[in-house]
Amino acid sequence: MIDRYASASGDFNPIHIDAAFAATTPMGGTIAHGMLVLALIAEMMTAAFGRDWLTGGKLEVRFRAPARPGDTLTARARAIDDDDDGDEGGSFRYAVECLNEREEQLITGTAAVAARGR
Amino acid sequence: MGASLVDLAAGHAFPPITVALPAAAVRAYCEAVGDEQAIYAEAGLVPPLAAAALCLGALLREASLPPGSLHANESLAFLRPVPVGAEVVCQTTLAKRSQRAGWVFSVLDSRLFVDGEAAVTAVATVLSPIEP
Repeated sequence: MIDRYASASGDFNPIHIDAAFAATTPMGGTIAHGMLVLALIAEMMTAAFGRDWLTGGKLEVRFRAPARPGDTLTARARAIDDDDDGDEGGSFRYAVECLNEREEQLITGTAAVAARGR
Repeated sequence: MGASLVDLAAGHAFPPITVALPAAAVRAYCEAVGDEQAIYAEAGLVPPLAAAALCLGALLREASLPPGSLHANESLAFLRPVPVGAEVVCQTTLAKRSQRAGWVFSVLDSRLFVDGEAAVTAVATVLSPIEP
């Protein structure tokens, strides 16, 4: 999946695709692209909000730990607040995270979607 | 290929980069990330993260990203729909540059334009190892 993403995105940083090189770095081995892992959170938000996300979403995240080849990842979101102002609309905000199978946080941050008069 | 990212000064404006987003490239991205939701094809829209990711990839090739560089933070806003087949013009500035604990911190502030209108904004912090 990592190699496929490198080809699709054009990001061939050897930390992602060159095992011999990656072994010489503090990572100790290849890691997934941050944007590849972030795509899981984006997928979750698209599934929840559809076009509203595609045309009005916001993401602010920190990459805390790398995803390794073979990891199983889970994206989660928790509502932070809902300041929907009725006719004026507002935004829905969520604390988002992506974890590996050991429940280690790989990405943390926030996502917001315009309410669009909901 | 241009100068290394770590050799550029804060305030450096990269030449605009045009990234085409034909259906095949969008499909390849969706397959690569495992997100093949029907909404993209039904609406004829590019996943906005895809537009940002492909532009970031093009930019980092242009800027000669040092091997071993890491993506630390990312802030994104999706302002307008990006249709499949669009050509995105990416304008990026190296907004900040600092060094700490053996790493160079580079903040890349990008605006992605479709038909002259800003469609996506993206601010990426990249850490690059300082060569010994």
